[in-house]
Amino acid sequence: MILKSHRARREESKRSVSNGRFGFYLALPSILVLLALLAIPAVLTIFQSFFIVPPDGVGIGEFTKVDNYLFLFKNEIFWATSLRSIWFALIFIVGSTVIGMAAALLLNEKFVGRMVLRGLLVLPWACPWLIVGIIWKWFADGNIGLLNGVLMRLNLISEYKDFLSDPSWAIWMTAIAATWRQSCLVALLLLAGLQTMPREIWDAASVDGAGIFQRFRHITLPWLRPALTVVTVLNVIYGLMQFDVIFAMTQGGPGSSTTLLSFLIYRQFFIFTNFGIGSALAVALALIALVGGLIAVKTLYRKIEV
Amino acid sequence: MIYSAAAVFVVWILFPIWYTLSSSFTKPSEIGARPTPFWPASPTLDNYRLVLGIPTKDQECIPGIDIVNCGAAASNVSVNKLVDTMFNSFIVGAAVVFFTLLISTIAAYSLSRYRFAGSVFFLNFTILSRIVPGLVLVAPIFIFLRVLNLLNTPWALIISYTSFTLPLAIIILKNYFDQISIDLEEAAALDGAGRLQTLKLVILPVAVPGLIATGVLVFLESWSEFFFALVLTDSYTVPALLAGFLSMQTFNWTLLSAATIIAIIPPVLLVMIFQKYIVTALASGTGK
Repeated sequence: MILKSHRARREESKRSVSNGRFGFYLALPSILVLLALLAIPAVLTIFQSFFIVPPDGVGIGEFTKVDNYLFLFKNEIFWATSLRSIWFALIFIVGSTVIGMAAALLLNEKFVGRMVLRGLLVLPWACPWLIVGIIWKWFADGNIGLLNGVLMRLNLISEYKDFLSDPSWAIWMTAIAATWRQSCLVALLLLAGLQTMPREIWDAASVDGAGIFQRFRHITLPWLRPALTVVTVLNVIYGLMQFDVIFAMTQGGPGSSTTLLSFLIYRQFFIFTNFGIGSALAVALALIALVGGLIAVKTLYRKIEV
Repeated sequence: MIYSAAAVFVVWILFPIWYTLSSSFTKPSEIGARPTPFWPASPTLDNYRLVLGIPTKDQECIPGIDIVNCGAAASNVSVNKLVDTMFNSFIVGAAVVFFTLLISTIAAYSLSRYRFAGSVFFLNFTILSRIVPGLVLVAPIFIFLRVLNLLNTPWALIISYTSFTLPLAIIILKNYFDQISIDLEEAAALDGAGRLQTLKLVILPVAVPGLIATGVLVFLESWSEFFFALVLTDSYTVPALLAGFLSMQTFNWTLLSAATIIAIIPPVLLVMIFQKYIVTALASGTGK
């Protein structure tokens, strides 16, 4: 009741013309900065993807219509790398969401040491992505890594295995490293969502005789849908755009087994200074991310019906 | 059941980072033992001393024999860089926080309280720009900065980081202002305070927790950023410097692990101190 009237009053004051001008002036610095640093660069990147840009990047260069894109579409490396990026992102998205969800559900229960575990969750999240890569590069190292030490003690391997030099393992290890950090962020965000869930709904369902999995499917999951949607969109972006972890762990190798689209873009821009092709790649990656994000929203988001 | 699940998570979170921590106290000569030990056999602080540029007891280098000290001595120039680079990272982070908060606070307040032509579009644009990746923006920003002769300066990072911290700050602060009752402004207006005065004297003091949480998050993003630092500067901030260490033959893992631990102390401390605020802010910033 009170809330409603607040909102009504706020809407009322929002509409007045002189207030509108005042509001515009307050927002103006941010609008200008976002135009200069986001809108214009994004448009320029799209623009450059249709040109052969001179290596110094200044000036328009030669208009090539869609030649840059045709070059990509006819190029096997582009397709292989796109698939690899999507594969990496899938491992990352599924891993982070499942592990994060499990951790959130666990932390929503009451047990001794709960706060300690919650405190630990922020540790990986506080690590910059590049440092996540450094930590995992040496953890998974084939000569001195602790992962090999642990596996050996558990008798799972008899000899040290060099995961990062093995093309089929490298993509998994890098994706797992990235998942290590992201799963903790997912857990924190989903836990925040869980803690706003009224306990009574859950209790009422258990009185009605719903089992734990039924309660998860029909109560917890619908309640978490909005948070889960946002988290998954974030995961799609971070998964497809991942660069730092790869840079630290494998530099795209061995061979090209961990070369993701982000790495190709980096090389086109800053090693071959081929801004036209690089821009076309960046636009392609952004489109893949857009499609991925839309799929996530379509499958996950429903209006909550209570 | 619950405790075994909790144990699995503790192992998952701690093992990788534990190995970095234990390596940072390990003598380089002891690093190859198999199976890899959980604890350093004879803990030492030498890695930290070397990385921070504090002389160790026996720093003489006997070429061909004492690989450890020779290696460190050879790379001493860049070793001492860690302290300088930490300082750079702090300066860049502080500047990004300052500029971001300065302009995002008023914009967020405006979006929460006023409506002007295009305000809804501006809000949607801000939300959308949270997911525009740096990879799409980096080439034009790089060229701008080169034309302005700002590459390799802290300004290159302060300017480019604002492109992603500003939308984050606006969204979080807008949600924060939305929760502050409009009664405050009405009371201030009755007392004859102007709109700008009201914002400065009435609203901002109430919004301090939100400003702190936003500032910490912005600082963390700035501290963590690597890609722009790699391409716009020559190892100016900590992640870029550590990436450089990775490719140096003379720089061994025990030294790198010590540098890594030092590099994550500031963000870990910040997150631990402000954990409650940050998680709430993050959840609200992503939840809408």
